[in-house]
Amino acid sequence: MMSSIDLCVLCAAVLACLMVGSLHLRLNLWLYGAETLCIALATLFTAQSHSESGLIYIALLIAGLKAAGIPLFLGWTSEKLNVHRDVGAVIAPPLAMHLTIILLAFSFILTRGLPAPSMAASGWYGATAGISLLFTGLVVMLTRRLAIGQILGFLVIENGIYVFALTQTLGMPMLVEMGVLLDMLVGVMVSGLLVFRIQKSFEHIDVAQLTSLKE
Amino acid sequence: MTDANIHLLKICSDWILFVLCIVLVPPLCLGLIRKTKARLQNRVGPPLFQPLLDLLKLCKKGETISSTMSGTFRLSTVVVLATMLVLAWMTPWLSFKPWSPNADLFLIVYLFALARVFTLLGALDSGSAFGAFGASREVTLGLLVEPALLLGLVALGLFSGSSDLRLIFAYSHFQYLGATAVPGIWLLVGISILLSSLVELSRMPVDDPTTHLELTMVHEAMILEASGRNLAFIEFAHALRMSILFGLAAQCFVHAAAAVWCMSALTEGLLSIGGICVIAISVGVLESLSVKLQWRKVPEFVAYVVSMSLLAAFVAAGTGVARL
Repeated sequence: MMSSIDLCVLCAAVLACLMVGSLHLRLNLWLYGAETLCIALATLFTAQSHSESGLIYIALLIAGLKAAGIPLFLGWTSEKLNVHRDVGAVIAPPLAMHLTIILLAFSFILTRGLPAPSMAASGWYGATAGISLLFTGLVVMLTRRLAIGQILGFLVIENGIYVFALTQTLGMPMLVEMGVLLDMLVGVMVSGLLVFRIQKSFEHIDVAQLTSLKE
Repeated sequence: MTDANIHLLKICSDWILFVLCIVLVPPLCLGLIRKTKARLQNRVGPPLFQPLLDLLKLCKKGETISSTMSGTFRLSTVVVLATMLVLAWMTPWLSFKPWSPNADLFLIVYLFALARVFTLLGALDSGSAFGAFGASREVTLGLLVEPALLLGLVALGLFSGSSDLRLIFAYSHFQYLGATAVPGIWLLVGISILLSSLVELSRMPVDDPTTHLELTMVHEAMILEASGRNLAFIEFAHALRMSILFGLAAQCFVHAAAAVWCMSALTEGLLSIGGICVIAISVGVLESLSVKLQWRKVPEFVAYVVSMSLLAAFVAAGTGVARL
């Protein structure tokens, strides 16, 4: 029987899979926002089931900063840089999406081998979602050529780690969670500014061509 | 009256109701889509059953035939209409229907393919260049969308443990399964069938059915040479195909609802007709709001449909693992 936490994190994993299929930056950012909102909901349900009030603030922070703030900031960046579409690399996005779904099934099989956490809020399904988000972030980073796509892939991986920790433990201390959240926000800000600098120096943000930097 | 008489009466009434549905629902679907589009463009629009009247008028009209045509053209129309009628009889696109034979899901998918092949033959036989254009596009679409439809139905077969569509769509398979996964599978498969039917029927995101430019048409380009009674048959077969596919999608959604709330047979029957109407109206809304995709972008759209089916298949397989 699945709980509402399982449902939320699996929803997030599926939304991340759907994100891989499109190269439109705005659609990608929307899907990332929706995915993160699902994770915030899962955090809220975990707070309810563990009766921990600290997690409620974390859920609110995730919804505000990660689900709304980061997509808005990256959307603003892409507007400023006037890029709306990634060019894609290695695998065509539709095939990459099918690959991530197969990886989702693979991570389901993978988590069968894990010992079931005895006290945690959500067992196998949470671990499935976490590992599948890791894979998905990896595929996003592999199949994107623009720096913004790379940042998105990194964010999805971060989501995966967070989901895994949330569902497999009794909850990390609130300070640690807040620290991670702050680090990530600063990371995205810095990389967003870096993208501006790259664009200014090289007139594109194609990371595949960055090797030609050296003179 | 004896029991046998009552039984006979029930069978007769079932058949009459079913035949009425086969005759009335397809034109109603077309009419609803046209009416919705008209209302959204601030027009009054034709009456709901105008497509039926159009078909009747076409039946009375004379026919012009190209001199290069062989008998294949005539045969194709007959085969397509007959296949569609058989499909309407076998496929559980309504929750109520009279006795029907074993409807294996592979048989159903390939009967749809048979109808498509004969539409193609008819188009190629007509000798017009546009027919060949349309045929080529129809084959491309068919190739793309077949895995999605097949995978979706296989997913349903996987978790209900049967490949017979009558058993799969029998409102009885959800008692002993993990309760949350079941509406999920039905919803995913419903979305996948609905989206793949848009591709299969060459409707809006893939092709504009009301276009007047032969270079972009798919289905309309194939039937350009048909006229009179022939055209009426082809149009009716196409509308019937639409209502079967929409009906299957609606059945998936009704099953998803039935896995959560208990329903009586009458509610299910009303919902299956109502579901088709709601889907037709939403297709009309979609066609008013969206623009036609570039032909190169169609595989991307289909990829999303295949993803839905893949997800459903994996969830179905996963619940099987969880049950063991």
